[in-house]
Amino acid sequence: MLDLSLNILDIIENSISAKATEISVTIEMIVLKNRLHINIKDNGIGMDAELKKMVQDPFFTTKTHRKKKVGLGIPLFKQTVENCNGKFILQSEIGIGTEIETVFQYDHIDRMPLGKLADTFTSVIIGHPEVDFELNLRRIFLHGENKIFHFSSREVKSELGDIPLSYPDVMMFIQQNIEEGIKKIELEEI
Amino acid sequence: MKTLAELRKIREKAQQEMRLRQSDNRVKIVVGMGTSGIAMGAREVMKTIMEEVANRNLTDVLVTQTGEKGLSSMEPVIDVVEEGKQTVTYGNISPEKARKIVAEHIVNGKIVNDFVVTVQS
Repeated sequence: MLDLSLNILDIIENSISAKATEISVTIEMIVLKNRLHINIKDNGIGMDAELKKMVQDPFFTTKTHRKKKVGLGIPLFKQTVENCNGKFILQSEIGIGTEIETVFQYDHIDRMPLGKLADTFTSVIIGHPEVDFELNLRRIFLHGENKIFHFSSREVKSELGDIPLSYPDVMMFIQQNIEEGIKKIELEEI
Repeated sequence: MKTLAELRKIREKAQQEMRLRQSDNRVKIVVGMGTSGIAMGAREVMKTIMEEVANRNLTDVLVTQTGEKGLSSMEPVIDVVEEGKQTVTYGNISPEKARKIVAEHIVNGKIVNDFVVTVQS
């Protein structure tokens, strides 16, 4: 994976494979404390302790019925975090959901850029209209100033009624809304 | 900044268009978004398809995504699913090829044989 936004996309797709209907992504950039947090939380089927351990192994996958033999999503993200003096915490409970919490050293030389976050979010929101997404993006500046962008796909869907998310103007609206939001809080890093 | 009021306008316009239309969604485009697909550029393919559908104002096309399909060596992979027709799977898709598929297959109804991996009924 070339950047963090692609890792986030991969983790979100895992949540969807685990039958999540609500997924929230929180990103906080706290320059003063030299930290970048990325949290992804879902209400999917969850994992027991054994499975939780196994998914962090690169040679494990849940997709047994297919030709696929390895599952690299979680190990790749974990490695990405640990390569830059970060912390990767995977919490999961059967029937409740899964949460991945990560902390990166913001200025670590090996930390990948965030990448095109707007493309990741637009892609999953439109590609999975049955899932509700909550985005909470925050940047805290050196002098303590806070800039926040919040997006809820549930709000958009309730405005739209029976109009699908992949309706042309709606797709453009979502893409532009998220792009503008990320720009406004200065979270762009490509 | 975009506002929810704008969405209301889009909704009114869309509802008028929908009233004039016979069926709901004529065709569905499914982009494979597994780990290998993502690593090979599936997100850019998804973005290109969304842009093409929006620019051409194709209101009867549904764009969605799915997980790993077991075709890792041919990622990015997309399916074109049409009711009453065979499902066409395209492989090794780039944004450029995706644009061609929208123009030729989705708009003009002609399968782009050069990029086809499988055809299933």
